[in-house]
Amino acid sequence: MGQSVPRLEDEKLLTGRALFVDDVQLPAMLHVAFLRSDEAHGILKGIDASAARERPGVVAVYTAADLGEYWRPGPLLVPPPPIKDLVFNAATQVPLVRDKVRHTGEALAMVIAESRYLAEDALEDIVVDLDPLPAVIDLEAALEPGAQLIHEQFGTNLAAHVHQTKGNYATAREEAGLVITRRFRYDRGASAAIENRGIVAAWDARSEELTVWDTTQAPIPIRNGLAAMLGLRESQVRVIAPFIGGGFGPKIMMFYPEEVLLPWAAMRLGRPLKWIEDRRENFYATTQERLQIHDAELAVTKDGRILGVKDRFLHDTGAYDPYGLTVPINSQCTLLGPYVVPNYDSEFTAVFTNTPIVTPVRGAGRQHGVFVMERLLDFAARELGIDRVEIRRRNLIPPDAFPYDHEILFQDFRPLVYDSGNYPAALAKATELIGYERFLKEEQPKHRSAGRHVGMGVVTYIEGTGIGPYEGARVTVEPSGMVRLATGVGTQGQGHFTTFAQLVAEQLGVEVDRVRVVTGDTREFNWGTGTFASRGAVVAGNACHAAAVKVREKIIALAARLLDTPPKDIVLEGGRALVRGTPDRGFDLGDLARRANPLRGAVTPGTEPGLEATAYFGPDRGNAASGVHAMIVEVDAETAAVDIKRYVVVHDCGVVINPTVVEAQVQGGVAHGIGNAFYEQLVFDENGQLMNASFMDYLLPTALDVPTVEMAHFETPSPLNPLGTKGVGEAGAIPTGALFAQAVEDALAGSGVEITEIPLSPSRLFELISRAKAGVP
Amino acid sequence: MIVEGTYTFAGPREVVWNLLLDPDVLAMTMPGTATIKRVSDTRYEGKMGVGIGPITAAEFDVVITMTDRVEPERYAMQIEGRGRFGFTRGHAAVTLSADGAATIMHYQADLMVGGKIAAVGQRLLDSVSRMLLKQGLEAMSAELDRRLAKGSG
Repeated sequence: MGQSVPRLEDEKLLTGRALFVDDVQLPAMLHVAFLRSDEAHGILKGIDASAARERPGVVAVYTAADLGEYWRPGPLLVPPPPIKDLVFNAATQVPLVRDKVRHTGEALAMVIAESRYLAEDALEDIVVDLDPLPAVIDLEAALEPGAQLIHEQFGTNLAAHVHQTKGNYATAREEAGLVITRRFRYDRGASAAIENRGIVAAWDARSEELTVWDTTQAPIPIRNGLAAMLGLRESQVRVIAPFIGGGFGPKIMMFYPEEVLLPWAAMRLGRPLKWIEDRRENFYATTQERLQIHDAELAVTKDGRILGVKDRFLHDTGAYDPYGLTVPINSQCTLLGPYVVPNYDSEFTAVFTNTPIVTPVRGAGRQHGVFVMERLLDFAARELGIDRVEIRRRNLIPPDAFPYDHEILFQDFRPLVYDSGNYPAALAKATELIGYERFLKEEQPKHRSAGRHVGMGVVTYIEGTGIGPYEGARVTVEPSGMVRLATGVGTQGQGHFTTFAQLVAEQLGVEVDRVRVVTGDTREFNWGTGTFASRGAVVAGNACHAAAVKVREKIIALAARLLDTPPKDIVLEGGRALVRGTPDRGFDLGDLARRANPLRGAVTPGTEPGLEATAYFGPDRGNAASGVHAMIVEVDAETAAVDIKRYVVVHDCGVVINPTVVEAQVQGGVAHGIGNAFYEQLVFDENGQLMNASFMDYLLPTALDVPTVEMAHFETPSPLNPLGTKGVGEAGAIPTGALFAQAVEDALAGSGVEITEIPLSPSRLFELISRAKAGVP
Repeated sequence: MIVEGTYTFAGPREVVWNLLLDPDVLAMTMPGTATIKRVSDTRYEGKMGVGIGPITAAEFDVVITMTDRVEPERYAMQIEGRGRFGFTRGHAAVTLSADGAATIMHYQADLMVGGKIAAVGQRLLDSVSRMLLKQGLEAMSAELDRRLAKGSG
């Protein structure tokens, strides 16, 4: 624990020996392409695929009508939490459009051919008869009476309405020395993983087994769901999530159309099928995050103490809402941040629009909430003439106030109670690292007098992480002395092969590289949920730890018996179990594993063979990781280009298993956050057409735009799990928009530019600067 | 996408009118138009191929329906184009007014563009459509000169 062990998986990844879904090549494999709607909204009158079916090389073409009983809307993945008076209209995605197209890129037909090339050609043979309808795009217009409906059965485009309160905001507001009111827009984009989605499905008629290689973050739920849909036993379905080039949320157990159709068709045709999503498809067919509009109010005393926050916001859920309310509830909860907010009145409306589906993307709505709160505090500080770090310091939850109850419900249906933290110390550390005082007193005035626009930002955030329900792990000492660790979560680059191995190695007294980790294969481990919500190190990590503790006990018991020594005198080190003080009396672990699996003779009744154990861990509720980000930027007032000079992160993810892995997670998250703040935006026109569905027009930050983050670890162990760990996977991406806005505004101080929207871009910032110059509000 | 403008033809209104509605002239003058047929007095069908940015030679089946025809003053059109790279849909209105010996054409079109051409050709749509229109009008103007010279207007 706590050692920066080099990542064990990197050699494979860097030398091209890691298996990705597209590496799977099977004999007689066919290739699949999907016909997708060009229109955002319309009634499907008919599809004529006869010409496509006749094209040489085409094996099959399926439309919704051809699916028969198999056609059914996907599962509701996350039901709404038990909040009083909550309204939720569930509409989940369909495998192929049967009656109505609801977003561009929705799949209309599936073509299976000898090659992808032929399949793509055959798509052009299909004639679609579609009656276009006006697209519903604008969130406010969508809720107007008489608006075009996306799901007629609800009689409204409202997908959900949720109101959570704490205290009494209206009363608190009356006592306020200052009330800040603003409208904020926070838009997000595609997850833009380096590997798009992909599926290979193969049915073996002899063994009656279906094998699916799937770029999923949650292989076990996919296995269970597919078995149920296809009328198979769960043991007949094996889902393998091999190495995956980034998950970031959208690769969770979505039961995407491709994910449910390829296995079905592979069984019908008796041939393996492959579909690899291309980049343009990814812009429509993979879920994304999108706009929220907040009308928010902060009531503070004259000395900057928060009395309460009121927030009314609209959330774009896209054409369907299979992932329930996770994203807007994260926004609602995360807004409170590390602050004491005695009164909170937050109400949101989720809205259906004719755009691709919205589900969590790294941060999962948390950044929206952080942006609103941090901006409100910035404006209050400016109005009251209080330093922006000081106003934060005055409102932080004190270190002795844990567990701290925010009195509302979180996305895991559990009360939003923070388990531990030391926010004032983390804030002090971050301001010290970035040199806050020196910057304000010496550097900034110097830059200003030289005509340079250099500014600083400092923001804080909470990341609710490590939610349940549970994960499991099995640890086995093999006769070779190698240790095998199997767990059900998938892996998408987080470093599981190393961090989980460290946890086991520590208990068993072996070198880390003696522990071989297997993840993401349902044949290897039968139980679990998946990799999401920054929960791997917390939930799966503690399961690995618990299984290793059990195996340790087995080793000690066996060694004690064989050596005729009390168990307390046995120590595990260097891959051996030996008697303390007499290192020549002991056994190699491999030797013990053999002895634990005798071929002859009697064993004591009740003993289990082998040195193996399985354990599970489920936390009572999610825990609260936290952090402070600080940055210095220079803005070119002529071109509105922004240059990030320094970026400091002080983060607290509880007990750190591997500092390098944590730093990499934060660095990657910051890159994602910078993309969100200044580069990435999905731009839909009023007809629901995505106008920048390629990396020519959808800008991602490059290595030149993302600075090396200067990091400090801060550890307040979580009391909610034995290891004391908290999650860190999303941390880097969460406060970046708020930070960027504050720093850029500070750089342009005096210009009248006020930033209430993210993403910015050089052209949008240029517009804001020009408008401020012209005195246009 | 809104396309709007005026163009002056150096010829009388009736000649310009005939020119604008002659499918052979349209096929010859509008860039990328492979064929265009007058199916009835109010309906034209054709094939066009245009290149927009990364999409080269996007083929469209185009149907134009005349809706409001007052010869030789004005007409309106419903336009529908469909192809493997997307679609366009919308309406356009053309008015012709005499200005001495010349004819001033005012045109206004409101076109929706969807599919791949919208998704990856967006940055170039405006400039490409302006360029195509300019080329078309200039070619038509040249054809007008030729007809007037031949006295075949």
